[in-house]
Amino acid sequence: MKLNPLNLYRMMTRMRAFEEACLEGVPTFEIHGELHTSIGQEAIGVALAHALTPEDAVVSTHRNHYHALAKGVPPRALLAEIFERETGLCRGRGGHMHPFDPDRHFSATGIVGASLPVALGYAYAFKLRGLPHVAVGICGDGATNHGTFHECLNMAAVWDLPLVCLIENNQYAISVPIGEVTATSTISERAAAYGLAGETVVGTDVEGLTEAFAATVRKTRKGGGPSVIEATCYRFRGHYEGDHDGYRDRSEKKRKRAEMDPISRYRDILIARGEGDAEGLAAIDAEARAEMQAMLAEVRSDPQPDPSGALDHIFLEEAR
Amino acid sequence: MADVNQSMRRINGSQAIAESLMQEMERDERVVLLGEDVGRSGGVFGTTRDLFDRFGPMRVRDTPIAEMSFTGMGVGMAMAGLRPVVEIMFVDFLGVCLEQIYNAMAKIPYMSGGRVPMPMVIKTAGGNIGSAAQHSQCLWATFAHLPGMHVVAPATVRDHKGLMAAAIRSENPVIFIEHKELLLKKSKDFLSGAEVPEGAFVTPIGKANIVRGGSDLTLVTLSAGVEYSLEAAAEVARDGIDVEIIDLRSIVPLDVETVANSVARTGRLLVVDEDYLSFGLSAEIVVRVLERLGPGALRQIQRHAVPDVPIPAALSLEQAIVPGPASIERTLREMAAAS
Ligand SMILES: Cc1ncc(C[n+]2csc(CCOP(=O)(O)OP(=O)(O)O)c2C)c(N)n1
Repeated sequence: MKLNPLNLYRMMTRMRAFEEACLEGVPTFEIHGELHTSIGQEAIGVALAHALTPEDAVVSTHRNHYHALAKGVPPRALLAEIFERETGLCRGRGGHMHPFDPDRHFSATGIVGASLPVALGYAYAFKLRGLPHVAVGICGDGATNHGTFHECLNMAAVWDLPLVCLIENNQYAISVPIGEVTATSTISERAAAYGLAGETVVGTDVEGLTEAFAATVRKTRKGGGPSVIEATCYRFRGHYEGDHDGYRDRSEKKRKRAEMDPISRYRDILIARGEGDAEGLAAIDAEARAEMQAMLAEVRSDPQPDPSGALDHIFLEEAR
Repeated sequence: MADVNQSMRRINGSQAIAESLMQEMERDERVVLLGEDVGRSGGVFGTTRDLFDRFGPMRVRDTPIAEMSFTGMGVGMAMAGLRPVVEIMFVDFLGVCLEQIYNAMAKIPYMSGGRVPMPMVIKTAGGNIGSAAQHSQCLWATFAHLPGMHVVAPATVRDHKGLMAAAIRSENPVIFIEHKELLLKKSKDFLSGAEVPEGAFVTPIGKANIVRGGSDLTLVTLSAGVEYSLEAAAEVARDGIDVEIIDLRSIVPLDVETVANSVARTGRLLVVDEDYLSFGLSAEIVVRVLERLGPGALRQIQRHAVPDVPIPAALSLEQAIVPGPASIERTLREMAAAS
């Protein structure tokens, strides 16, 4: 499929504008707990959106909003969930770290290392049923040191399951740089230990990443076995909102934000190639912001869950 | 024991933990700390601040996110003669390494016929502060149910320091559950026990603390429940309801004697527990009291705990299910009205 550059750009700006809308709920105490945003990593969301079908599964992490958007989870319901409203995707029970959309085979977890096993289950089910779908298990660089990463890749490989392991290497697990806890120079090279090919791609180059990810998914979908793909990127904000982030020095952050912003990088490319102009792209930015701000205003007038429903949904009704 | 001549000052809970670790690590070079973000960043709640600079990476180790393995590593370190303090960032993640905790750490002293000591502390943060189902919970009763480990949850700032020292010096494994609310609370906002001696001291594990004397009713709780209950007790005191509050400090060992002595006077028992209701601490306390005092000893019994539901994200729902000052006050008034 030929990529439409302006679409790629628009998707990234919408993801960022969505996260920026979320940021507004933190100082006002509308959002509780540790809010993790994906600002700076949007190209990965675009790659997911481009390569996956509605039936494919995505199992995400604590940093999940843009994966959800990429998977087609309705932004309005997602934002309402993040803002803990009754109108939210999970009626305000799950919150920002635990969105579930069974219709779109999307789920997430707040527990590091817990995404791949669930993705493995989807992959197994797809294979058992002979379905042409893939399951994408997403993990951060930090999660790849969890036992589940190794256990799952081994099982996926030996059973030849349609699992795509997507590693978002934003270089830090909270305060710990990847180089201090991982001996190999890339993460993807570990795939070889399980008889798989791994690939590391620049995760801030939206076109390159989208193409590489699509090729990977295509291979797995066609029965080529599980894949491991690592996208390098940089987390622009603290690990969560409220993180003092003293472990990365200012000059590093400034430099990386300039070099590794997938949106501004792509803006420059589009302008250089004559496929967009500064004004037109700024209009796309403004449109995305306006859309998300309007959605935020709506969500803010949605009701909080009624306390009388606090014990609802512990168990489902049994079929009679 | 605390040296009464020591100079006192007000500090907060996370400082108290960090100070205790600092002093214990200085006192005993076998004490080693490991966990996620405990090193350079000083811990996500600041409870390990300054330790990395002081003791270096071999004694203050930032680990990969590999809880099962570094918890098991703690077991091995203890068997090799060290005194590991393993931090599992949130109590919810103990599920990830429960195997090493309950099959190895907790059972090895027994399985070895008492030959292998296990001087190991699992330090973690629990409590409900709006962080939804996977980053809330207290879970102390889960660990108390599994034999072989002490389960400690400090309330006062002073106890954060003294109980941590006791846990580190213990020959037995200790699950040490800090409460996020208390770690984030400013020292000036504590209703009790924010004055802490500067030097090292030990608060013995297993002795409950009567934080408020009273004659009408015995309220048993621990951790942040103590501060919540003090708030509620001050409210109902205006209407002449005089509540005795007992901070258990640990649930293994459980100081039944202190609770039973109080109940023998008041005849009325309320257990306030931020953990889940069923098969938990509240039932255990009631039964132990009845076993000691006889089945007719209680004129009133109430349990106020999380009603067997995962912790919801929305604050409106969390407040509806987690005991807090207002709901404790309500329960106390209901009990007084019914008596
Ligand atoms: C089992 C478990 N251990 C620890 C944590 C706390 N924690 C949350 S996110 C995180 C770092 C994750 O790093 P990485 O996988 O690189 O993802 P990133 O946050 O960088 O996107 C940690 C340690 C957790 N949620 N679950």
